[in-house]
Amino acid sequence: MTSLDTHPMTNTSQVDLSSSPLLEASNLHKTYRLGRVGVPVLRGVDIQVHAGEWVAILGASGSGKSTLLHLLGGLDRPDTQISLPISCSDCGLAMIGIRPKACPECGGAVDPLRAATTMPWDGYIRFRDQDLGRMSVGTLDRYRNESVGFVFQFYHLLPELNVVENALLPAMARYGRLGFFLRRQELRAKAAELLASFGLSHRLTHRPAELSGGERQRVAIARALINDPPVVLADEPTGNLDRKTGQAILDAMVQHRASTGRAMVMVTHDQDVAARADRVIRLEDGRVAASDT
Amino acid sequence: MSGFGRPPRPWSGTPKVVARAVGESGVPTPPRGLRPVHSLVYQALLTRRYLTSKIMPMLAIVSVMLSSALVLVAWSIMGGFLTMLLEVGRKMEGDVTINWPTAGFAYSDDLIARLEKDELVAGAAPMIETFGMVTLPDDRAIGMRIKGIDARFAKVSDFEQQVWWRPVAKPEPRDTRGRDPRLPAQDNADASFRINQELLEQLYANGLRLGRSDPRTGQFKPGVVPGIEAMGFSVRKPEGYYQPAYSVSRRTTDGSFKDIPGFAPLHNLTIRVIPMDAKGRDMSLFVSRTLPVVNEYRTGLFEADKNTVLMDLGELQRMLSMNEQQRLGDAPVDPYAISGEGPGERVGQREVIGTEPARVTTVLVKARPGVEAETLRQRVIEIYAGFARAHEGKVPDLETARGRMISTWERSLSTFIGAVKKETAMVVGMLLFMSLVCAVLILCIFWAMVSEKTKDIGILRAIGASRGGVAWLWLRYGLVIGVVGAALGLGLGSTIVWNINPIHEWMGEQLGISIWDPSVYYFPTIPNIVESRKATLVVVSAIVCAVLGALIPALKAAFMDPVRALRFE
Repeated sequence: MTSLDTHPMTNTSQVDLSSSPLLEASNLHKTYRLGRVGVPVLRGVDIQVHAGEWVAILGASGSGKSTLLHLLGGLDRPDTQISLPISCSDCGLAMIGIRPKACPECGGAVDPLRAATTMPWDGYIRFRDQDLGRMSVGTLDRYRNESVGFVFQFYHLLPELNVVENALLPAMARYGRLGFFLRRQELRAKAAELLASFGLSHRLTHRPAELSGGERQRVAIARALINDPPVVLADEPTGNLDRKTGQAILDAMVQHRASTGRAMVMVTHDQDVAARADRVIRLEDGRVAASDT
Repeated sequence: MSGFGRPPRPWSGTPKVVARAVGESGVPTPPRGLRPVHSLVYQALLTRRYLTSKIMPMLAIVSVMLSSALVLVAWSIMGGFLTMLLEVGRKMEGDVTINWPTAGFAYSDDLIARLEKDELVAGAAPMIETFGMVTLPDDRAIGMRIKGIDARFAKVSDFEQQVWWRPVAKPEPRDTRGRDPRLPAQDNADASFRINQELLEQLYANGLRLGRSDPRTGQFKPGVVPGIEAMGFSVRKPEGYYQPAYSVSRRTTDGSFKDIPGFAPLHNLTIRVIPMDAKGRDMSLFVSRTLPVVNEYRTGLFEADKNTVLMDLGELQRMLSMNEQQRLGDAPVDPYAISGEGPGERVGQREVIGTEPARVTTVLVKARPGVEAETLRQRVIEIYAGFARAHEGKVPDLETARGRMISTWERSLSTFIGAVKKETAMVVGMLLFMSLVCAVLILCIFWAMVSEKTKDIGILRAIGASRGGVAWLWLRYGLVIGVVGAALGLGLGSTIVWNINPIHEWMGEQLGISIWDPSVYYFPTIPNIVESRKATLVVVSAIVCAVLGALIPALKAAFMDPVRALRFE
C-alpha cells in the first residue's frame, strides 16, 4: 500500500482528521430479499469520511461495496430491523432472514429456542450531523442533489440529452423552472467550464451514443460536480474502461479533488486505484475487514 | 479555455483544471459558439426529447387523434341535425305559434295588433294551415299541407329568401363552377344554361305576392308556391342549386304518355280542400281550385319542401269558408218572400242576422333578437289571455286548449326532438366510452415506456429528482400527448364535418353507398357545422383521458426503487 505522503496526486493538507467527520455511518445492515430468502449484504459496517478525504472501499464482487455507497448517498435505506442469525444444530449452517422447520442443507432440526428474531437497528448515517434516517423523502432527494455527486461504473447518462444537458441535469432538478431560468447563464458557463476542463469542449452538443466510454464517464463526472457537492461517491468509475482511459479518468478526478478539497468515496476492486486514496477500507462478507491509510 | 469553434484537441489525460473551491461562486464568460440550453426544467426537456425520438408516443397521439375526431364528427352531425331543425323552424314560422286547427279562430287582426305592441315581439302574421289534395301537372294526386299566408308572413319568416326562382348575384357556396341557372349569363354560349333575368324578376315578384297579373286584363289572379321538392320538376344538384328538368312525362286521356316542360312556374296545380264552419263541422264535400304555379320555395327542411304548398290567405279563406260571411238565421223561410233590392234582390233567402268574422288557424309570432322562444311564449300566453277575455265566448280560451294552443317549434316537435336527443346522447356516450378505451391504450403505451425508461428514472432519482418531479415528467408527457392528439383530432374531425357532404356524394358515386336519406332525416344535406362548445368539450375530454392514462405509469415511475432501477437491464 503506497503511503499517502509519497503519492504525488494526494494532498493530505486538505484532510483534517481531527474535525468531526463530514459523512459517517455506524452499524450499517442491509439485507436483500430474494423470494423467501434474505441475503445479507452488509452486516454492521462503520465508516467515517472527513472533509477533503479520499476513501477507497475495496472488496471482492458481492462484498457489499456498492450497497454501502448507495446507503451513504441516500439512494437506499439501511435495515431498521436487524435479523439475528440462527444455525442448524447438526451441520451448523447459518441462516438469516428465514425460519425453516428443518435445515435446508441436512434436514436437521433447527434449534427452536434460537429461532430467527430481530432487533431494532441502533446505527446511523450522518452527514454534517444530520441523520439521514430521520430525513423525509424530499429532504433525502435534496441531499442527493446538493450534497453528494454520484459517478457510476456504467456512466448512466440520459441518451436523449446531449453532453451539456446531461451535465446540467442536477442543476435543473435543484433550481426548478424559474430558478434555472434566472441562473441559466451562470450554470451554462459552469457546465462549459467543467466540460472544458475534461477536454469535452468540442463535444458539447453530442449525444452519449456519439461518445467514447471515456468521454461518457467524463460527462458523468461533470454531472456529479455541477452542484458543487461536498462529497463525490464513485462506484467503480474506471471499471468499464480500458487501463489507459481509466487512468486518465482517475487522474482527472483526483486533480479536481485536490483543487477543490472535495471528499470522495470510491468503490473499486483495483488495488492500484485504491493505493492512491488517503484511506482504504476493505470489505469482506459485508463487514469491514481492515481500514488502511 | 478551449472554444467550441476550434479544432478538437487530443485528450492528453492531464486536463487543465480551473481551480474552484467548494462554496466559491463566479461567473466566467461563456465560450463562444456554445449552443444555448433551453431554460426548461428537466421534465420539459425530456418530454420534448421523448416525444420526438420514439415511435410509441406517436402511436399514442394517433390514438387520441382518432378517438377525439370520431367523437367530434358523431356529435357534430347528430347534434347539428337538432340545431338545424330548430333554426329552420324559426326561419319558417317564427318563434311561437298560436294554433287552433281546423275550425280556426276569429279577430286575428286584433290579436296581431296586441302582440306587436309588446317589446318582445318583432312581428306577427296570420296563417291558415290545412290539408288538401293537390293534383300535379303530371296527373299525380298527392295529399299535402296547404298554407294560406299574406304579406305579413315575411315579417316572421325568411320567406323573401326562401322564394327560389329569383335573380341571384352569387352562386351557392359549393357551386364553385357557377352552374346555377339563376345566375346572370356570362356570354351567349352560357346564356343557354341560364334563366332570363327579367323572367326571374317577374317570377320573384309573383312569388312574393302569391299570384300574378292577368296579361290581358291586368287583374290579379291568385297562384300557388309549392315547396321545391313537391312537384319533382326541379332537380337538386350536389352543388346546392336546383336545375329545372328538361321535360316530365304526363299520361294523356288515351293512356299514352307525352312530355311536358319541366319548369314548375309554367304549370297549374289543382287544390281540393274541405271547408269547415266555426265549430269545425264540414260544410260541403270539397272545394276545388286550379291555380297557376307562380314560383317555388325552399326552406331547407325536406319534409316542408316536399309536402307543403303556399297560397294567398284570402283565397284559401274563401275556399274554406273562413272569410267574413253573413250569419243567417234558422227561422223557416218563405220560398216566395223577396228580400233586397235591385241587383241584391233575392227570393226565398234566410234572414241575415249577423256577420261571421274571418278566421285563421294560426298566428305566427317572431321574437326580437336576443329573446328566447320560451320567454316569448310566456308573454304570448299573457297577451292571448287578455285577447280571449276581450272576445269572450267568440275565441278559444286557454283552458279549453289545455295549454296546447300556444307553442314553440321545439315544443311542437318535442317527441321527435326528445327521441333524437336521447339517440344523440346514447351515441356520444358510447363514443366517450371508446375514449376511455383510448385512455387504457395510453396506459399500456406509457407502462411500456416507463419500463423501457427504468434506468433513466433511476438516474433521475440518483441525481436528486423528487418523486413528484418524476411523476410530473410522465404526467406532463401524457398531457402533451393529449394536447397534440386532441388538436390533431380537432383538425381532422372539423375537416371531415365541413366536407361531410362532398365525402358522402363521393361515397355514393364511387362506392354506391348512400347513408343520408332526406326523406328520413328532414334535410337534403348532412349537418356540417362544428360548434365551438362541443369542440372544446371533446378536446378537454381527450386531454383528461390522456392524462388519466399516464397517471398510473407516472406513479409507478415515481415510486420505483432507484437502486433496482439503476440495475435494470
